[in-house]
Amino acid sequence: MRAMVMLWAAMAAYGADGALVAKGAAEERKACVGCHSLRISSTQRLSRAGWEKELDKMARWGAKITEREALLVYLVDKYGDDKPVEALPRSADGVGR
Amino acid sequence: MGLPLLGQTGRPLVFPGKRSMLVHNDFPEDLEAPTESLDSFLTPVERFFVRQHLPRPRVDVGQWRLSVEGMVSRPLTLTLDELLKLPQHKLPATLECAGNGRGYFRPSIPGLQWTKGAVGTAEWGGVRVAELLQRAGMDGKALYASFDGADVGAGQTPDFVRSVPMRKCLDADTMIALTMNGKPLPEIHGAPARLIVPGWDGASWVKWVTRVTVAAEADKGFYFATAYKYPKLPVAPGGAARPEDMEVIEAMPVKSMFTSPGGGTAANPARMRMGRVPLAGFAWGGENRIARVEVSTDGGARWLDATLGKEDFRFAWRQWRMEWTPPGAGYFTLCVRATDSAGRTQPIEAAWNPSGYLWNSIERIAAVVEG
Ligand code: HEC
Repeated sequence: MRAMVMLWAAMAAYGADGALVAKGAAEERKACVGCHSLRISSTQRLSRAGWEKELDKMARWGAKITEREALLVYLVDKYGDDKPVEALPRSADGVGR
Repeated sequence: MGLPLLGQTGRPLVFPGKRSMLVHNDFPEDLEAPTESLDSFLTPVERFFVRQHLPRPRVDVGQWRLSVEGMVSRPLTLTLDELLKLPQHKLPATLECAGNGRGYFRPSIPGLQWTKGAVGTAEWGGVRVAELLQRAGMDGKALYASFDGADVGAGQTPDFVRSVPMRKCLDADTMIALTMNGKPLPEIHGAPARLIVPGWDGASWVKWVTRVTVAAEADKGFYFATAYKYPKLPVAPGGAARPEDMEVIEAMPVKSMFTSPGGGTAANPARMRMGRVPLAGFAWGGENRIARVEVSTDGGARWLDATLGKEDFRFAWRQWRMEWTPPGAGYFTLCVRATDSAGRTQPIEAAWNPSGYLWNSIERIAAVVEG
């Protein structure tokens, strides 16, 4: 029990496993491109359950996900529903293009 | 000017005809208008929001055709020149994404996290859908027309097709628009032709239209049969609704917003000086005109009627304004609420729903008046 609490405290302090997050980031660059840019994910704030559903939907639509757990950990770590909402970038001047 | 902003994909954040838009997504383009830039009855194209489900198609206008088929006795295939020779109709109408305001719902909901600016008003010009259906010899038993655009999805991604019930198709203001604010429709808004369904959610306003299919039934694809639905009865925040309890969204609810000030929260309030403070914004009511707009500067304890703009069209937003002289320095909560011609008004808090549609809560803005 005590070990569990310490493990939990360590995870809370350092966030998710860095190696897994890095693997998830690489998976995103492989599996989540082609149909839309990654920005559509970075503007979301979803729980793990929310991301699970989102990955199911994308897989149905043709995304080929091989490292699902790493991808989930990465998405929750970066774009979880407890993460603050960031200001959106503004577009540059495209009038006349 | 500094370095151009780069997208995560390395693409610069520049979009044809657009200036200083809030970028929710760069490919396909989902662009929101900063609220304080919405200050005229007609929204300039450069500040008109963009919502793409699928990547923008490349349309060669010379090769482009619009077909009208299905339950018709004389199927049509029209070029742009032929469409331009038919009787033309013009109409100012407000276009709003059904998900405008999704970013305010808690718990948060997947989808574009729009705040206030997925709305705009343009003068649309083109050919009435009723005119096309009549020329094609529509079967009186048809109940829907389905509209398909030139855009296609990648992989198993569904095609974007929307059905519109015949009663709305035959409305004299439902049209295939060829112009926006008096100029040919821009490519990013669906050139050469998009559907205009006045008062209805943006999802119905299909872009790059190539085919109109007249039928006894609605389309069974994802974007009509599953997406853009709203529960018949309210669900608890974070809850689910049974598919059979979900209804297709049609006309939009009544809503209002501030554009001046554009926003303000307790953590980051709007700041203003003593004296005369111009308050302004818009109100709109789907298929209904706006009858009244009220403003409160004390969190809703006392409401005063705002002055309504002279442009009063059934399907377009109404500008409102009020000059406020703060009684002193301090912290104020500004609110606005609209009532439409059918007597509908806004809820204190819009009902949470599984896809985050139809956010129309009474807007509250935190403001600090400096002495
Ligand atoms: C085969 C094409 C395809 C791939 C690959 C793909 N997506 Fe999507 N994605 C879509 C489409 C289509 C939409 C919906 C666009 C719309 O309607 O605005 C979408 C939308 C989204 C959204 C917005 C919410 C929603 O459901 O509309 C998120 C978040 C998302 N995708 C995440 C991902 C992630 C994470 C991956 C990688 C696992 C991924 N996508 C890979 C096609 C794809």
